[in-house]
Parts: sequence; structure tokens; C-alpha cells
Amino acid sequence: MNKKLLSQLAFIIAALLLWQLLYNMKIWPKMLFPSIPTIGKAIVEAFTKRGLPAMALHSLKLLVSGLCIGVFLAFILSSLFSINENMAAVYNMIVCMFDLIPGIALIPVAILWLGIGDEAIIFMVIHSCIWPMSRSIIDGFKAVPKIYVEVGRNFGLNGIGLISGVYLPASFERLFSGIKLGWARAWRGLISAEMVFGGSALGIGYYITDRRTNLDIAGIFATIVVIVLIGLIVEYGIFRIIEKNTVAKWGMVH
Amino acid sequence: MGDGPLNGRPLLHIDALYKEYDNPATLVLDKIGFDLFAEDFLCILGPSGCGKSTLIRCIAGFERYEGTIEIDGKGVTGPGSDRIMVFQEFNQLFPWKTVIKNIMYALKINGIKDREEARGRAELYLEKVGLIDYRDYYPHQLSGGMKQRVAIARAMALKPRIVLMDEPFAALDAMSRNQMQDELLRIKEGEGMTVLFITHNIQEAISLGNRIMVMGRKGNIRESMDNPLKKPITPASEGYSEMWRHLNQMLRDGS
Repeated sequence: MNKKLLSQLAFIIAALLLWQLLYNMKIWPKMLFPSIPTIGKAIVEAFTKRGLPAMALHSLKLLVSGLCIGVFLAFILSSLFSINENMAAVYNMIVCMFDLIPGIALIPVAILWLGIGDEAIIFMVIHSCIWPMSRSIIDGFKAVPKIYVEVGRNFGLNGIGLISGVYLPASFERLFSGIKLGWARAWRGLISAEMVFGGSALGIGYYITDRRTNLDIAGIFATIVVIVLIGLIVEYGIFRIIEKNTVAKWGMVH
Repeated sequence: MGDGPLNGRPLLHIDALYKEYDNPATLVLDKIGFDLFAEDFLCILGPSGCGKSTLIRCIAGFERYEGTIEIDGKGVTGPGSDRIMVFQEFNQLFPWKTVIKNIMYALKINGIKDREEARGRAELYLEKVGLIDYRDYYPHQLSGGMKQRVAIARAMALKPRIVLMDEPFAALDAMSRNQMQDELLRIKEGEGMTVLFITHNIQEAISLGNRIMVMGRKGNIRESMDNPLKKPITPASEGYSEMWRHLNQMLRDGS
């Protein structure tokens, strides 16, 4: 095991111990500040009795659909608006304006336009990721070294071929950080939306609200732990591996 | 060879090539004209800022220009793989592709869809530049000289009508530079390539070119000559020092 991983584990153990210590000092009532074993039990219960895995999967399904549509739309829009400089300026303004709108502020619009089904949640996810992704595409393409473009054109590449053969791989690092940022925002947007209206089936955001109405503080913390775990799995299990096999292998990050 | 058309039409024909940049208005190329014939190795010498890079970029099709640039009688309107450029920058290889994939990709774009055929041709040219053992390396794992060799292999594998070289060895240390010059000459002879080579290094121009052109600071051609020295040319070759002094004087005079 390497030292970084050891330090990270040590931190988590220390945080858990501190929590338990605070619990044992009985500063706050049990109802508000559960013990670590109780939270652990609540996690097990959530998985075995209360169907949290199915809910989490449902949420992730909506998230992935929304992310795919959002990223795809970001590419289409960024390309369409890059036809000339005036169009690019307009799109830049659009991105700045819409990126500022917190997802939660659009929930009323989503409900009134699309109802309280999956469409509204996917709408929220798209809103969360399309603007940061557009920014990454615009900035990433702008930062592609001129020499790669000239080499590509020299070989006879132009139009779509030049974009897929040179611009995309050359700006991959930025595009990828756009996807990471998009995913993080979308995940938050999704949970807020589910907490407010749920969607067609029950998701992880519903679960946490449901635990609150049941005054189940351990269940609430259990859900938060699961949300964090999903984030960790995506970061270390997916993003890091993609990075290792692309930009790191290509020597494009140091 | 030389200025005399052996078999009729020149491969590259340039006439009244004129280029200026606006903002601020600067004259870069002042009605330049010359011809290049098959298997010529033309070295263009010039002080920095004389427009020699702009000249080669016009030929490559990266710049707009006034006047005539023709390859086999056809006007140049944009970049094309009949004129492959080898740049000075080491990062002209795509970092996201291995050495051999860099070459295979260029071949694929140029109509060699069969992977095995592309691989075979890429390996052949990697062999020629002595880098066959590095075929699966990524560019960032290579030294500067090795990257330039891959770029040369890639250019040759595409079998262009003319290879354009814009100071490809200028960023190398003196020893690698000499070694690369020898290799380039050997490969050029073997392949029968036509090369237009930009440099500001007199030794390089004398050692490589069978023709040498000197550009002046006003975007003009000051001199165009055949290189009478016998290859291999070293500073010990007869006539080398006279030639060096002459070219050096030309460069110093400027205009």
C-alpha cells in the first residue's frame, strides 16, 4: 500500500473516531447526533430492507442519461455557434447567463413545463452540465496548439475530420475536466430535484427526504455516506482510470 | 539539377510571389521567383525576419499570397499532402498517438485504409530513420532528435512531391544536428526526395543543399547558386571555407 492511500485511510479513521468521541461526550441529543455504529446499522438497513440500492441506481440512470444528452448538446451548440466570431460571442454570453442560474431555481419551471416525472429531472441534469461543458469545449478548442492543427491540415484534414482527429484529442484534458465538473454539478442538481419532487420512480434524493420525515437522523447520515461513496467510486474507479489511460499516458499532464 | 530544366517542367514553380502583413504594414516577400526540379535539395539561407519561414508557409498552403506558386503546374490554394512540412517544433507529433500510430494515421487519411499495409509502410520508414525499436513509444518518451526523425519518417511515408523543412534541426544540440544532417542526406539520396530546406545556419546549407539561395532582409532573393562542392561535405572539404565566407558576407550585408 502506498503512503498517500495510508494517509487518506488514516484521516477517515481519525474522523470516525472523533465523531464517536463527540457522541460519547453526550453534548447533543441522540436524536440529532447518532453514533457511528447506529449510522452503520442504518446503512445496512438501507441496503437490505429499504431498497436504497434500487433508488440509487434509478438516480444514476437519470444522471447518466442527462449527462450524455447535456454533453452531446454542448458539442452541437458549441460547434454551431463557432461558425463565426459574432455567433461565438452570443454563445459565450448565453453560457455566462445560464451557468449562473442555480439548478434549484429552475425546479419550478421544470415542474410546470414537464411535470414531476423523469423528464423534469433529466432537464435539471442537462442544465447542470451543459454550461460548464460548453465552457470547456470553447476554451479547450481555443487552447489547441496551432502546430497540431497545421500538421493535421497538412495531411489533408479539414472540417469534421480535423475536429475529431486533432481538436478533440488535443483538448481532451480540458474536455474531460468539463465532464468531471458537469458530473459533480449534475449529481447535486439531481439530488435537489429528487428531494423536491421525486420523479417517476423513487431516487436517492427521495430517500433522504423520507428519512427526515421519519425523524431518522441515522438514516439521513447513512444516505449522505452513500452519496459520498458513489462520488468516490466515480472519481477513483472511473475518472482516475480514464486519466491514467489517456492524458497521463500521452504525457499531456505532469 | 541546378537551374537547368532537365526534363521540362519544374516540380515547384514560383513567380512574382508577394506577401505583406498589415497592421503594421510590412513587406515580407517582394516578388520572389524560382523553380525547383525533381530531386533538388534547395537550402534557403537568410537572417531571422527575412521572410524565409513565410515563404515556406506559403508553399505549404498555410498563408494567403499574391503571385504564383505551382506544383506540377497546379496552383497552390491550401495545404495538401503533396507538400509535407517538417516543422522546427519538437511537438509536431500527436502526443496522443504512439510513434507508429502517428505515421499510420497520416497514411490512413491519405487513402491507405488497409491497416497492415499502413503498418508495413510505417515500419519501413521507421527502419530508415533507425527508430523501429521505438514504434510503440509515445512522443513524450522520445528525445528531441528522435521526434524530428519520426517527423521525417512520417513525411517520407506519405511520399509527397516535395518535403518542406522549416529549420527542423535548429532546436537540436550541435552533435545531434550533425548526425541528423548526415542521416537526412543519406535518406534523401536513397529515396530520391525533393527537399526545400530553410535554415539560418551556413554550415547546414553548404552540407545539405545541391542548391543554395540567400534571402535578404527586404524579402528578396540576393543570390541563387548551385553548390559545387562534392558530397560528403565537411568544413575540411576543398572550397568550403571560401563558400562559407562568401555566404557569411551575404548574410551580414543584409539587404
